[in-house]
Amino acid sequence: MMTLILRRLLALPLILIVIYTITLTLAWAVPGNPLENPEKRPKPEVIEQMNKQYNLDSFPRFYISYLKSATGVSYASDWLSGQIKREREMAITEGIPVPPRPIFDFGPSLKYDDQTVNEIIRDTLPVSVTLGASAILIALFIGVGAGVIGAVKPNSFADLSTLAISMIGISLPSFVIGTAMLLTFSLWLGWFPIAQWGTPKSIILPAFTLSLPFAAYIARLTRMGMIDALGADYIRTARAKGASEFSVLLKHALKNAFLPVLSFLGPATAMAMTGSFVIERVFTVPGMGEHFVNAVQNKDLFLIIGVVLVFATMLIMFNLIVDVLYKWIDPRIE
Amino acid sequence: MLRMLVPVFLLLTLIGISVLSDRPAPRADLVFINSSEVNTLDPQRMSWMHDLRTARLLYQGLVQNDVLADDFAIIPAVAQSWDVSADGTTYTFHLRDDAKWSNGEPVTAEDFRYSWRRAMLPDLVSDYVNMFMNIQGAAAFYEWRQEQLSAFPDREFNSPADRQRGAYELWDQTKAKFDQLVAMHAPDPHTLVITLERPVPYFLELCAFAVFSPVYEPLVWQYERPNPTTARLIRKPGWTKPNVLISNGPFKLTQWRMKRDMRMEKNEYFWNKDAIAINSILMPSITDPNAGVLAYQTGALDWVADVTAPYRGDMVAQKLEFLEEHAEEVQRYRAQGLDQFTIDRLLPPDPRAHTHAVSSFGTYFYNFNCKPKLPDGQINPFADARVRRAFAMCVDKRSVADDVRRLGEPTASTLIPPGSIGGYTSPTGLPNIGDAKNQAERDAIIKQARELLIAADFPDDFIVEMAFNKDSGHDLIAQAIAKSWQKHLGVKTKLEQNEIKIFREDLKNKDYMTARAGWFGDYGDPTTFLNINYSTDGNNDRAYNNPVYDGLLDQAARELDPSKRMKLLHEAERILVEDDLPLIPIFHYATIYMFDPHKVTGLSTHPRTKQNAFLIDIMTDDIGPNKPKPMRHAVTGATTNGGTSP
Repeated sequence: MMTLILRRLLALPLILIVIYTITLTLAWAVPGNPLENPEKRPKPEVIEQMNKQYNLDSFPRFYISYLKSATGVSYASDWLSGQIKREREMAITEGIPVPPRPIFDFGPSLKYDDQTVNEIIRDTLPVSVTLGASAILIALFIGVGAGVIGAVKPNSFADLSTLAISMIGISLPSFVIGTAMLLTFSLWLGWFPIAQWGTPKSIILPAFTLSLPFAAYIARLTRMGMIDALGADYIRTARAKGASEFSVLLKHALKNAFLPVLSFLGPATAMAMTGSFVIERVFTVPGMGEHFVNAVQNKDLFLIIGVVLVFATMLIMFNLIVDVLYKWIDPRIE
Repeated sequence: MLRMLVPVFLLLTLIGISVLSDRPAPRADLVFINSSEVNTLDPQRMSWMHDLRTARLLYQGLVQNDVLADDFAIIPAVAQSWDVSADGTTYTFHLRDDAKWSNGEPVTAEDFRYSWRRAMLPDLVSDYVNMFMNIQGAAAFYEWRQEQLSAFPDREFNSPADRQRGAYELWDQTKAKFDQLVAMHAPDPHTLVITLERPVPYFLELCAFAVFSPVYEPLVWQYERPNPTTARLIRKPGWTKPNVLISNGPFKLTQWRMKRDMRMEKNEYFWNKDAIAINSILMPSITDPNAGVLAYQTGALDWVADVTAPYRGDMVAQKLEFLEEHAEEVQRYRAQGLDQFTIDRLLPPDPRAHTHAVSSFGTYFYNFNCKPKLPDGQINPFADARVRRAFAMCVDKRSVADDVRRLGEPTASTLIPPGSIGGYTSPTGLPNIGDAKNQAERDAIIKQARELLIAADFPDDFIVEMAFNKDSGHDLIAQAIAKSWQKHLGVKTKLEQNEIKIFREDLKNKDYMTARAGWFGDYGDPTTFLNINYSTDGNNDRAYNNPVYDGLLDQAARELDPSKRMKLLHEAERILVEDDLPLIPIFHYATIYMFDPHKVTGLSTHPRTKQNAFLIDIMTDDIGPNKPKPMRHAVTGATTNGGTSP
């Protein structure tokens, strides 16, 4: 177990560097100048200076300098060379607070002047994590429940209707479901607030909408796993020894049927927790998802790389957690 | 079984932690959507309209516009009075004693010198740096600093510490250079004397622009240090954050959560705080146009400052229907000279009346590439002004405004919205088929346009490319215009839709034939529109170059007599919209607001569309006088000196 964790953690930086390289190359190839305001244009010499300041005039220089500041190498070297100490002393002699300097610096946002990428991620990631965790939780309950119901009597009315609902969950785009829910529950019934993130009440509608495609997928995985498991010999044995139907279903069959669901949970959780552009737009959730789209449109290089690296790290970590859980739940797995 | 529940427990803990760590704040006195997320709260770095609108809440400049008066006059703000020298180049501002920063410190003339010096530095890349170049010595100061910065990386130093000292020394020299070169002096803390390069009749308008607001030096300097390797001042974000920012406006920043909301409370040190009828403002960040309208309908918002929902045309149509039902009263009130918000308030309450189309200080137009040759080397037929005139006459502007936009916007025959600038008379512009009174007149215009094309030898089978960016319905407008040209001029068209960045790039490189465009004025003078067609201007996307036009603008810049100057500018615009047509004005923008006219008052209907949200009074709450604030009619004359407080 420990070797698995160690091996994965050691591979993490390597994978991240590969992802960083690919993302930066792609983002660099996007046409347009990130420093250009769509309506008003700074002077050419000003653009040139800005390009120089952010190393936007040279791919290799940008590649290295960003890598250094994001991994903390810049901080370490400035610390070793005494630069950080000098800055601190200068601030103290002038009697002003020491300007904060993060160790892992993802750089400034080129679009939002007053924010660093670190601040944007700090502000938006917790929101997305809350929403994503709630959505996965709801998806688990709905999905496993529907899967079990379907598997008990395959091809019955209950089974077909859960199948049909899960098909709808997968195929209907979330902006349609989201808008319909917003109209019904917020505007007409007035049960939930519109566009006011923060209270537990405001999480329910977006989390439910976000959970639907995941729930549908989980339902189908559970149903297939349960049908397989219910036909197995050990279930007949359990029934033969007089175990109750409830115990057979939940204790014996579900335990095996849950494994594919668990392996789906890793990437699903990472995906749900890094935000959904559409859901955030419809329900006005201040999460991280929109930056995956808008940062590219704004060619906000630092922000693009920042959010992609966060997503990649979460994806790898959740897969690791799932693998550990997997082994713990089912010791047969090597 | 229990092991299977582990993921569930993990998720529950996560949710629990984050829900508990987030505390919702009570509703503010005024809640409004500010169209889009604020980019920056650094006034010298601003250029977006919603940023400037926010800045006017947090900061206050020397003077301000009286937005609730018909003439939009300049009235005192931090300066309580000012004198202008006879030759119009020296302004002496007398600052009020009770102007204070939000920490209680007095606002002094030095604060303005510091802030305007910031804007004049090439380091800061202010979008509006050109506006400061009217001040004597500013251009020389900018150039000097720019040269020093370019030379610095090549200078030899013994050690990094030496290099850093060098950067700081250069900064000290820069400050000395500013004192020496730039004609901005503070003989005492409450007097500011500014000498201009040449008379600038709209200089006070510039002083009312948020970019000219003061910032608090002891705070800002902490975040703006010379970079040890480049010597440039590197601006670190941080001083514009809640509970850090120190500002001098009616409100102070208490919360700013990216993409979520911005909250402000009344600044207890503001000199005119008793005139403010709201104690707190919340600006939730709602980017989805539909969610904004829905949130308004649930009562969560008091004002939506820019409705962009796709169905807003229907909302405007319903409003017109409502006004139609009360046609008689509306007629009577209009005859009395009442403004549109006041009329809405005098009519019976109706949800349809919450939509308001307000004319804006901007124009939608189509650019022509005026270069003799197109990028592919072939001769550009649009280099011929006759061709441009013919195309301009045959755009059915009425149909674009009424059938495509459907916001009740006026069609445009000039670049500057008529009536938006006091003392300026707009030219007539070319006849247009959309505004023809009858079919005969329409046919005559088409015939005239076709003759122009023949005279200009417009090539047969030429395909006219029309470039526009995605979103905002530009595609529908392009289709309507293309249809007009096909039908009336018999030309072929090709629509080219691109992402905004690519579209901008093409415009800059003049890699287009015709392209959609829009321009909003920054200050109350015709030059804010006319300058973009000056041959060397950075925003001259048309590559338009007419020495006569440039000459008129130059001559106007030297003219001291305001009415003669306006005549020169009138002639320049006449050349633009009647003879040369480097652009086709299509319509003047309207902005769609949502607010309850029986509840919210203090918004301006002036076509300059500059709203000062601190003037708003919610008439249903228990703060402030709760009396309607209709637009006031101008008292003739008194616009140049002194005046009364708002």
